[in-house]
Amino acid sequence: MFTTRSARQRRRALALTSIAAAGALTLAACGSSGEEAGAGSSDDGDAADGELSGTVTVWHYFSEDNQVGLMDAYAEKFESEHEGVTVENVFVPYDQMNSKLVSSAGAQTGPDVVVFNGAEAATIALGGALAPMDDYWADYADAGEFPDSVIHQIDGTTYAVQGYVNLLGLWYNAEILEEIGVEPPTTLDELEDAMAAAAEAGHDGITLSGLPQSQGEWQAYPWLSAEGFTYEEPDAGALEAGLARVRGWVENGWLSQEAVTWDQTVPFQQFTSGGVAFAENGNWQMGAAEADAGFEYGVVPLPLGDDGQVYLGGEGQGIGAFSENPDLAWEYLASTYYSPEGQVMAVEQVGSIPARADAAGDDAVSSNPLLEPFAASIEQYGANYPAPNIPPAAVADVQLTVGQAWSAVLGGQQQAGAAAQATVATLEGLLAPQ
Amino acid sequence: MTTQSAPVGAAAAAVRTRRTDPAGRTGRRRPRQVRLLFLLPAAIFLGLLSLFPLIQLLRMSVSAVTSATLNQSWDFVGFENFAEGFATGQSTEALQRTLVFVLVVTVLGMVLGLAAAIALRSRGRWSGFLLALMVFVWALPPVVNGSVWKFLLGDAGLINTLLLDSGLRDAPVPFLYDQYWALMSVAFVNSFAVIPFNALVFRAALMNIPPETFEAAALDGANRWQEVRHIMLPAVRPTTLVLLVLTLVYGFRSFDFIYVMTYGGPGTATNTLPFLGYLQAFVRYDFGLGAATSVVTVVGVLVLAVVYARSIRREEAES
Repeated sequence: MFTTRSARQRRRALALTSIAAAGALTLAACGSSGEEAGAGSSDDGDAADGELSGTVTVWHYFSEDNQVGLMDAYAEKFESEHEGVTVENVFVPYDQMNSKLVSSAGAQTGPDVVVFNGAEAATIALGGALAPMDDYWADYADAGEFPDSVIHQIDGTTYAVQGYVNLLGLWYNAEILEEIGVEPPTTLDELEDAMAAAAEAGHDGITLSGLPQSQGEWQAYPWLSAEGFTYEEPDAGALEAGLARVRGWVENGWLSQEAVTWDQTVPFQQFTSGGVAFAENGNWQMGAAEADAGFEYGVVPLPLGDDGQVYLGGEGQGIGAFSENPDLAWEYLASTYYSPEGQVMAVEQVGSIPARADAAGDDAVSSNPLLEPFAASIEQYGANYPAPNIPPAAVADVQLTVGQAWSAVLGGQQQAGAAAQATVATLEGLLAPQ
Repeated sequence: MTTQSAPVGAAAAAVRTRRTDPAGRTGRRRPRQVRLLFLLPAAIFLGLLSLFPLIQLLRMSVSAVTSATLNQSWDFVGFENFAEGFATGQSTEALQRTLVFVLVVTVLGMVLGLAAAIALRSRGRWSGFLLALMVFVWALPPVVNGSVWKFLLGDAGLINTLLLDSGLRDAPVPFLYDQYWALMSVAFVNSFAVIPFNALVFRAALMNIPPETFEAAALDGANRWQEVRHIMLPAVRPTTLVLLVLTLVYGFRSFDFIYVMTYGGPGTATNTLPFLGYLQAFVRYDFGLGAATSVVTVVGVLVLAVVYARSIRREEAES
């Protein structure tokens, strides 16, 4: 089992998170939550402040300016709070992070703190690169502020916790929508009508990632699930319908086939450069949008109907299995990612949605209109990432399989039907029996 | 036994001779020991960085190894990993793509390398400048080179912009996102990266042709093509064989450009054997399966390496 909690419990926890976020947004004017957030203590590590010294090495894969800026701000915050402590942020390319962690663990070395794709917690933990955090978490006074859905456990052992949640929404170019005379879409039909109108007016319809790997799968899942596809009951017909729908966007000229070569950064750059009506992208792009978009823009939840789901992703933070100073590493996490101040910094610099219930009520969250649709998405479409029924050892395999099928259909290598049949046949061997 | 005793006896006699040589010093035996001593670092280096990983790769290919068991003992599974790769069809398809890829890289790399060498045969400022430029291209890290080419070949890249603006095309060429174009594009970029090296080696061979040969050909009225056909091509034949094998090996193990430019896509259209091995080992974390795919690649490269070694030996014997 990936976690000891049932899917129903996790969904309930997610709903609580979303309610907390949405509630915080609506209660912005009261401003009472801010005081509570400020009162949250984060100095519950095993070691007292005065005894800590040394260097905390943090491995991360961030390359965007706002995300790197947040890492730098965290380092500055922790160093200013602990004299004699140095934080060393080390960039490791996303594609190399897991293998580098696992091979480092084989050599009994590695970073003090790891910031990684939360969905890959099982892969990294099974590779022996993460230290159990149970003792620290049990002693952490603020642990109750975190919903279960952001706590990564394997066989009952906690290996990582997410300080924030990231998810996808539908960004729109308000000027193009005004030009073609449509409102931001709330259904798939409205979205397709809007893309058709945008294309007729000489604009591109939408940008997204079709890369044949986990990023592609992450972006594909909302559209596939909108047709009824799930990992609990993988149905070839539903998968085919989802793949065929988006392939249709390529054939209609609304989505560039070049998307199969784009990671998640490139399509948003295409969107901010103008001339594209919509972008399927995440809340972490707020900084990039503010910096680069020379037009009015907004966000609405992805229009996914009754069945659609949006992964609740984000980075997990854990302590390296071979950290020379795990107490210092924990103190760093408690002071930055897990503290209310640190989570508000993530809201302000990156646009991430805080995992803590108290931080979700901060003014930085409630006063940001771009965060509201993401909070609404959590409530309406939020889904565990990865799906709870995927065995930990098969997560990477499942993501690659679906990512390749997504890319193959968008790129015209395979028909939707053939890709769906082959994918479901592979998934049946990978997924745990219900 | 008698066949062995003769050389042994001769060697012993030689040693005795050395020992009794009045000018000889006891240190006469040292040069050989010193040579061995000098060889030792290289031997250790190769053993640690080439032989040991190769043995580990072979062990891994016949074991069940995942991220959970990588740092533990590995269970022996025989040829199960090899069978799985071919049973799913992934290895077979990747092998076919690899052969197409290698063919394109080799043909373009050799032909354009020779053409560049012939064009740059003369000594002059421009040829020197172009040679320096080619060395620069050759020395560029593949990640940089691949990223530049990905940009150039994009819908809004230089090449498509030129094609569209000149009216040669109505729509952008799908260089990197059509399954057939994508394989050809990454193969072309791989060729582009190997052309400078091949051109430099070919040029060195061409520079060895005595000028008198060309003077005599000119007196006989030979045109440029006849010079190429009857003087240059025969002169570079031994080099061609060596370079051919090296280019084949280069094509066979190419990974970086695919990783940067297409990530094996669209779908699996540019999954060659080395990239498939990467996906299996470092994305799916099935290190056993990835190792089996890599062993298939290594076997291909080894066969070519044997051909290379034999051609080198033959060339040395001829010279």
